[in-house]
Amino acid sequence: MHKRQNLLAFGLLFPSILVLGTFVFYPMIKTFWLSTQTTDLMGNPINSVGFKNFTNLFNSEIFRTSITVTLIFVLVTTVVTVVLAYWLAILASSKLKGIGFFRTIFSATMGISVTVASILWLFMFNPQIGMFSRILAFLHLPDINWLSDPVWALVAIIGTTVWMNLGFSFLILLGAVQAIPEDLYQVADLNGASKWLRLTKITLPATEPTVFFVTVVTLINAFQTFGQVDILTAGGPDYHTNLLVYSIYQDAFVNHAVGRASAESVVLTVIIMVVTFIQFYLNKRKAARYAD
Amino acid sequence: MFKNIAKYSALLAIGAGVAAPVTTVDAASKPEKIVFWHSMTGQNQKSIERIVKDFNNSQKDYEVVPEFQGQYVEALPKFLSVGGSKKAPDLFQSNEISTKQLASSGMIEPMETITKKYKYDINDIQENILDYYKIDGKLYSMPFNSSAPVLYYNKDAFKKAGIDELPKSPTYEEITDAAKKLKDDNGKARLSILPYGWTFEELLANQNQTLVNNENGRKKTATKSTFNNEAGKNVLNWIKTNADAKTLVDYGTGANAGDNEIAGFTSGQIDMFMNSSASLGDIQKNAKFDVGVTYMPRPEGTDANGVAIGGASIWQSKGKSDKAQKGSYEFLKFATSPEEQAKWAKDTGYFAINKKSYDTDTMKDAFKETPNLKVAVDQLNDSKRNPATAGALITAMPKERVNTQNAMENVINGKDVNSELEKAAKQTDEDIKAANEQSGE
Repeated sequence: MHKRQNLLAFGLLFPSILVLGTFVFYPMIKTFWLSTQTTDLMGNPINSVGFKNFTNLFNSEIFRTSITVTLIFVLVTTVVTVVLAYWLAILASSKLKGIGFFRTIFSATMGISVTVASILWLFMFNPQIGMFSRILAFLHLPDINWLSDPVWALVAIIGTTVWMNLGFSFLILLGAVQAIPEDLYQVADLNGASKWLRLTKITLPATEPTVFFVTVVTLINAFQTFGQVDILTAGGPDYHTNLLVYSIYQDAFVNHAVGRASAESVVLTVIIMVVTFIQFYLNKRKAARYAD
Repeated sequence: MFKNIAKYSALLAIGAGVAAPVTTVDAASKPEKIVFWHSMTGQNQKSIERIVKDFNNSQKDYEVVPEFQGQYVEALPKFLSVGGSKKAPDLFQSNEISTKQLASSGMIEPMETITKKYKYDINDIQENILDYYKIDGKLYSMPFNSSAPVLYYNKDAFKKAGIDELPKSPTYEEITDAAKKLKDDNGKARLSILPYGWTFEELLANQNQTLVNNENGRKKTATKSTFNNEAGKNVLNWIKTNADAKTLVDYGTGANAGDNEIAGFTSGQIDMFMNSSASLGDIQKNAKFDVGVTYMPRPEGTDANGVAIGGASIWQSKGKSDKAQKGSYEFLKFATSPEEQAKWAKDTGYFAINKKSYDTDTMKDAFKETPNLKVAVDQLNDSKRNPATAGALITAMPKERVNTQNAMENVINGKDVNSELEKAAKQTDEDIKAANEQSGE
């Protein structure tokens, strides 16, 4: 009986195992394996080098820059996106006439593709005719080379990415804020609670699971940023916007170093895994605290 | 029931309609299909498709099928992933810097095999263009769309600022001088030196300086970079001088930086920049002022050595049938013929690679109509033939370009010339070593 159930379970799981195996596990295992090889121009392995690809990576200043800017980028992008989206969600949840218009505007970036958005921002960052340069000139501030100064280029990419991710985060958070029962606020009003108290004691705790979800999604999205970098800076100046995924693409498809690119992919996978585990751990601890 | 019959017959009719063109082609199918992958867009795509159409109409044995496969960078990995298999195209257009990669890939048949087999008269092709695609004296691919960088400037803006027109072969100092005067006149920076590896290479070539050792990797596989010296410093110092004088506009290193630079020029935001001669067509069409074109600049007190060609050539896949090979050859012969090359040059701004093109009326008329078209040709003809102008041949070319591009960008951002040059050279050495290990050389 027990055996039969196992068989049935396996039979039912088989289709998804097949699909996941073909499109997720097999490529993943192959990437792990390729990361220990040197490859020819076509990406065929030539010989096994053990962990040499990895030691080469960590000895390379370019890769270290890549990791550093990726971490800075992901951290800043995620925090700014979530905070900004939350603020907008609270603003947009107020019952005003015509608020629907603002809700549409705030979530509109969701409908714009990465390429279109990047090109739009490219115009705004243009050193001569761009909006930002014009504003700076108007305020008599020194000119900034948005896309060719190492620090400002990263700021530019972060700004663009935040803008792009904002729509999605905003929409999800708005849903969560609106789902909070109205009577909670009415009780708070009766007790004369301040706006701040209402925010910290009702709104934030009630939306915490959603904030967690949005943070995880934004974070993983940020790690996988590609289009903006390609269009705005191509990883430059001097690798200061060479985010990991872009670096993987460059090594795999431009430099034809599949071994090195695979090693980078493995590093990225490990980083995302660790970060996600930490997040889930923190969330679980918090959930346990609330249960007490 | 009747309803269904109507439906089915409708479906059948549609099916037949779809199948009809296929079957008719099959029925009359004698022409051998020659698949041709290219990376031309815009005006250039129209021109290349016109050549193909003219060829297909000119004979009945072969039919060339042009397929756009994305930019050079995108098409190359595609080719490398199907190379050697049946899916590989017969002909494949690839840019100059992939020469070494393709030549050692084992997926291509050297062009010399068919030019010899069918007795193609290679002497009609411009020598300095052929030089680029020869390795060890052997021709690997057929030159097709070749260009070289030139210096563009706005003659109207020069006049307004009271500056003389630039001479035929200007010096860095003359450019800097003009840039300063333009800034005085306008209040803003008016010169752009794009941080782009190609520009750096060409400025080296113009000083008779190779990029890598072993005669730019042409005698045997290059093992080291050779630009960490006076010539390299001259280039970066020139950039630095202009960056310090705030006469330089920096378009950065993004994928669209080159396009932005051109747009900046044609819309009157900058007055001087260096770019491919192949952009001339677009620039002349969009600029509402008198466009000046002159040779690439050189440091004062040196002779201009000339430029290396850029652009792309056409490769032939290995292992295709004799008939397909013959068809490929016939098409290439047609595409590189004097008249076709003259039309191509006139439409796009690329060089006519066939020397006899310059005797055609098409070309003569084009020069009369657009004298600027001739400047790039003259510069190429004035270029001395040596390893520097033959161009560098290394597998790690994309990486080298990023390295030198970073050095240029960093200098613009105020970093030290010597240390940046050293860093770029050292990184290039490492990249060359890694690439040589990868290809077993």
